[in-house]
Amino acid sequence: MSKILGIDLGTTNSAMAIIEIGQPRILENKEGMRTTPSVVAMGKNGERYVGVTAKRQAVTNPANTIYSIKRLIGRRFSDAEVQKDKKLLPYELRAGAHDDVEIKMGDKWLKPAEISAMVLQKLKADAEDRLGEKITDAIITVPAYFDDSQRKATKDAGEIAGLNVKRVINEPTAAALAYGLNKKKDEKIVVYDFGGGTFDVSVLEIGDDTIEVRGTGGDTHLGGDDMDQKIIGYFIEEYKKEHGVDISKDQLAVQRLKDAAEKAKHELSSTMQTEVSIPFISADASGAKHFSVIFTRAKLEELVKDLVDKSIQLTKKTLDESGFKIGDINEIIMVGGQTRMPLIVEEVKKLFGKDPHKDINPDEVVALGAAVQGGIMQGEIRDVLLLDVTPLSLGIETLGQVFTKMIEKNTTVPVSKSQIFSTAADSQPSVEIHVLQGERAMAHDNKTLGRFILDGIPPAPRGIPQIEVSFDIDANGILNVKAKDKTTGKERSVKIEGSSGLTEDEKKRMMADAEKHAGEDAKKKELVEIRNLGETLVYTSEKMIKENDGKIKEEDKKELSEKAEAVKTSLKSESVEEIKKATEELSKVAQRIGGELYKNQTPPADTPPNPENEIPKEDPKE
Amino acid sequence: MEDETKNEPNETSEIDKVKAQRPSEERGSTEASRPNVEEEYLNNWKRERADFLNYKKDESRRMEEFVRYANEDLILELIDILDNMELGLKHEPTELLKKLSKDFEELLKKYGVEKIKTEGESFDPVLHEAVESSEVPEARLMEEVRPGYTMHGKVVRPARVKLIK
Repeated sequence: MSKILGIDLGTTNSAMAIIEIGQPRILENKEGMRTTPSVVAMGKNGERYVGVTAKRQAVTNPANTIYSIKRLIGRRFSDAEVQKDKKLLPYELRAGAHDDVEIKMGDKWLKPAEISAMVLQKLKADAEDRLGEKITDAIITVPAYFDDSQRKATKDAGEIAGLNVKRVINEPTAAALAYGLNKKKDEKIVVYDFGGGTFDVSVLEIGDDTIEVRGTGGDTHLGGDDMDQKIIGYFIEEYKKEHGVDISKDQLAVQRLKDAAEKAKHELSSTMQTEVSIPFISADASGAKHFSVIFTRAKLEELVKDLVDKSIQLTKKTLDESGFKIGDINEIIMVGGQTRMPLIVEEVKKLFGKDPHKDINPDEVVALGAAVQGGIMQGEIRDVLLLDVTPLSLGIETLGQVFTKMIEKNTTVPVSKSQIFSTAADSQPSVEIHVLQGERAMAHDNKTLGRFILDGIPPAPRGIPQIEVSFDIDANGILNVKAKDKTTGKERSVKIEGSSGLTEDEKKRMMADAEKHAGEDAKKKELVEIRNLGETLVYTSEKMIKENDGKIKEEDKKELSEKAEAVKTSLKSESVEEIKKATEELSKVAQRIGGELYKNQTPPADTPPNPENEIPKEDPKE
Repeated sequence: MEDETKNEPNETSEIDKVKAQRPSEERGSTEASRPNVEEEYLNNWKRERADFLNYKKDESRRMEEFVRYANEDLILELIDILDNMELGLKHEPTELLKKLSKDFEELLKKYGVEKIKTEGESFDPVLHEAVESSEVPEARLMEEVRPGYTMHGKVVRPARVKLIK
């Protein structure tokens, strides 16, 4: 079945996404970018440019470079909005036969839908190129305030581009779908969409299988570009203060200031201050001049505060008009690149008293949601399989009460994992499989799910028997743990029903605990690890002395025994440093003597056992 | 053109139906006379497997691309510094600066980053970004304002040019 392309056809930029293994994913365009400028141009020789190439040639060809077509689509020429935009747009407009808008590009007069179709056509072609398959179906998003005529014209644009437009959905609805909020029946949601050129706010109500728009508002000429302008204005002002020169007329200097303004704005979303430095911005008789200023987040916020305030006022107004109160709103979703600004998040949070959703890239959330809508529609034909994940890690206890994870948390089930373990002592007759769940480093800090003993292991030195432990969680969340002695084929297992077995609260507490104790856990684990290492080394050293009786010089034997004794003494302490020091010394001597033995053609000792792979006979503390 | 397209009011209204509608008789028939549930499950499973295998193939291809361009952000920041060096060279050429910027360019070349040619070339918006243009319609001669770069053939920053004459 071919994929349904989800398209966010934006005023300044467009984006597209598809569903892949049940999850939406943004598709990059041919230029390798995740968004495509909604710009179309006709070159001097009739060649057509769409997207970033159209944008790059705009200044050479302003009359035939069409942008912001979304402001015109489906509108009447006599609309006040159109008349207002007409003054701002550098291309020519005229009234069509039905009071619709026509745009001049090259020597042709085109309808807005035909221009939008060119953008959609590029998206379709680029998507086909990426996926290596034909795309015929699409979901296209529009602002919630679009009327029937604007929606129909958008649908027409899709069809002109060769797409079967399965549905035209609202942008805020798509954002809610991307966050999976369509399942939250009866919830009220505010979608705050601060884009590059427009600000939209919508109030949604979730019903049975529907998402209803209960209110819309905003400002079609308020956006991140206004913020950039304020920053550029500030830079020009600062430059004037320092050098007494107005560079606002120098196009190239302004261009560099614009780049710097955008970069600084982005940086100040994660840092408190940034240095803006533009060397050689201009030159006069006295030589080259540089622009340099420390730009703080506080200054940026001061510059754009009125724009943010305006958006908050509009949000309040829209909420009032929708008939809901602040307290009625269950969720807030942030859309549009500008919402990355901490000030905006803070003000929205202040207004609603709760954290807005902002985990999904705000430039991409609408396209992702459009793809989700496509997925839901296809799900009617082919059931979408919902798979669970394990909420916490699962594993067993190994030497020194260490928790060894077998299945990490957030693993999608069904899943099976197996690993080979061994014994922790010579001639150990049995291993105890202690099944645990949790995130802590030490076994006893996690929850015991079950335990069983695999016995009848034939006598063998430590580390030699091969015990295969496998964990299997089926689609119903039932955990099956099995231990098998590879030599004898003997096996034991335990079945744990509902392996999560935890309430939501328990789960949260365990995760919080893990985070809180991460530091001390790491220390504890380090102590256990160094102890295990020390013990292992003592064991191999003693074995070496025993097995190579007569081959090792007496003084070496004595030194080795002494060092081994020192490690044994240090093991009684709780000091990582002490044990480490003694162990290192022993290791040095053992290596030297081992090396001499090796030179004398004696086969090397077995690879030293690895404590992490060793299961003791039983838990000494219990 | 507008009259040719059928307008379906409930698909374009302000209420978004999240679930796909399906004729009720179709639903009835599939549930009543579903011949072989096992087969359907098996097919779905096969599809999931196939999806997964295809995903793995796609993913490894994407991974390759990701690794190839992983340091693009860093490269772009480095190019900013190189810009400044080159501007400095124009204003106050010193031997040291000359050497440094040459080393820098060599370093970038090692990572597949190459300067985009502008001299003697004709304007191509795939490679060049026009920032100023004289009103003459045949303006095709370019003056580079800021160099552009490709990385393994992909344009990471177009060359900024003034179109003259």
